[in-house]
Amino acid sequence: MSQLVAKRTVDMQIIGDWVEPNSRVLDLGCGEGALLDYLVQSKQVSAVGVDLDFTRITACVRRGLTAYQGDMTAFLRSFPDKHFDRVICSRTAHELDDPAAVILEALRVGRALTVGFVNHGFWKNRLNMLLHGQKIRNEVYKTEWFQSRPANPVSVADFERFCAAKQIRIARRAHLAGNWRTPCRSFPNLLAGFALYDLAR
Amino acid sequence: MTDDVAVAAPPDSAPRHLAPGDVGLVAPRDFVYTQPFAFKSGQTLPGFTLRYETYGQLNATRDNAVLICHALSGDHHCAGWHSPADKKPGWWNNLIGPGKAVDTRRFFVVCANVLGGCQGSTGPSSLDPETGRPYGVTFPFATIRDMVRAQKLLLDHLGVSQLHCVIGGSMGGMQALLFGIKYPQFVRRVLAMATTARESAQAIAFNEVGRQAIMQDPAWNAGDYPKDGGPRVGLAIARMMAHITYVSDASMDRKFGRRKKETASSAAYNFDIQFEVESYLRHQGQSFINRFDANSYLYITRALDQFDLAQTYGSLEAAFAPVEAETLVVGFTSDWLFPPEQNRDLALAMLRAGKRASYAELATDLGHDSFLLESEELYALVRGFLERDQPYTFDFAI
Repeated sequence: MSQLVAKRTVDMQIIGDWVEPNSRVLDLGCGEGALLDYLVQSKQVSAVGVDLDFTRITACVRRGLTAYQGDMTAFLRSFPDKHFDRVICSRTAHELDDPAAVILEALRVGRALTVGFVNHGFWKNRLNMLLHGQKIRNEVYKTEWFQSRPANPVSVADFERFCAAKQIRIARRAHLAGNWRTPCRSFPNLLAGFALYDLAR
Repeated sequence: MTDDVAVAAPPDSAPRHLAPGDVGLVAPRDFVYTQPFAFKSGQTLPGFTLRYETYGQLNATRDNAVLICHALSGDHHCAGWHSPADKKPGWWNNLIGPGKAVDTRRFFVVCANVLGGCQGSTGPSSLDPETGRPYGVTFPFATIRDMVRAQKLLLDHLGVSQLHCVIGGSMGGMQALLFGIKYPQFVRRVLAMATTARESAQAIAFNEVGRQAIMQDPAWNAGDYPKDGGPRVGLAIARMMAHITYVSDASMDRKFGRRKKETASSAAYNFDIQFEVESYLRHQGQSFINRFDANSYLYITRALDQFDLAQTYGSLEAAFAPVEAETLVVGFTSDWLFPPEQNRDLALAMLRAGKRASYAELATDLGHDSFLLESEELYALVRGFLERDQPYTFDFAI
């Protein structure tokens, strides 16, 4: 398995560990449904995915997943409080127009919210900016700025500050080193490549 | 639904019914139900006939049937050709056939003309055995539920133990949804396209204009007219107007623009046909009156107007509570008759009711009739819904 595929699946395992078996799970930005498929198979969850793209919804449907094509904020607004046991927002939050609104809505319709993101404060990213003064390009940030969707370069410190300001309870956190595999136990804002948070209100 | 059927270009002028992927020559059959049938209105018929077609074979476990439900002006002939000389195949020939999205090598496809229709099934133009004359407006009011119940009796007669899927667009989508609600154990999948849980005031308004055009035609004669007679002018006008609601501004502009008819007189100051779109609509109206009964048009549009899942069951969530089927709703961006929001609401209500319901939205500019579109994307979605991939295996060995 290549390094990149390993990076793609490692957060799936951690997210899977946090998901209760047979629970009701919503994945915001579900893509082609790889994570939900894994959760259905490993945890027998009843899963719903949301994505904007017709082809990705088709991929989900072909996998037998339930998927909804549309805007995630409008989707969340159509559900009563605590409809889902868990909402997952994995590698999506940095691309949202209004991340605070989505996260707060997700915490309303879900009993728990998992957020996973690439830590922009990772030392290699800092060093890259210091040495080259250019947008980072590596196997995680694959595209030039002019080929990329707008994204917020969120860091571990940024995210924790946001949770504190909004009085969001952090039930669990998992910081992974630059290889996205080894746990990162100290100075996560500097040393973690990837961060996962399990949130509640 | 317009009469514009997507017909693939024949390769090397080979007979089109022999083209690969085509079901070929087909023949309709009649299901005659001889017991009394009570309508939702309380009225009854001593029995009824449904004209239907089937393609493919029912399997040993009798559970590979796919029911196709037609829209307002559609019929049981949804694929194949009745004769090599036919100008057009069945109305959903692009979707249904061996190797197509609805693969007749795997599925036993059934499509019936609805109760109240006029293409061979019992409806207002059928003869009332008591009087020997057409029922006309003495025909019982047929609802979407009555249409669905009649089709269930047909499927029982055919020995179908479970529906692999029920598929329909527009009014067909309403039937598909109701199938899932009324017969939860019987229906495994529901695929509803370009449809709604209830028509908006605008959609009811268009239907009412159509009905008024028919009823204000003196030849309607309170619904009492001879076969091949009747309110031909009124029915043609109803069809011309309805046709506009099935397409879109963009698609009409692309097809006709402001092009003038070549035969148009040079003097612009008269009311002869000048624009191609006028000529097209008149042709649509004329061809419709040769195949459709005006009273059936009244009955079926009324059935559409009365369909209201939220009101019938208290709420949409309550309506979908019994559903066991996996559901896929498909909306089309340019559909302004049953717009994407109304399709989306169906999927959202099902999800709120804890059901498995997906929603996909295809960007097209063809309006309501987009569900009949030749689109590889739509075919891939339909095929993906009907034929599941094998489960993916996850390998975390690094």
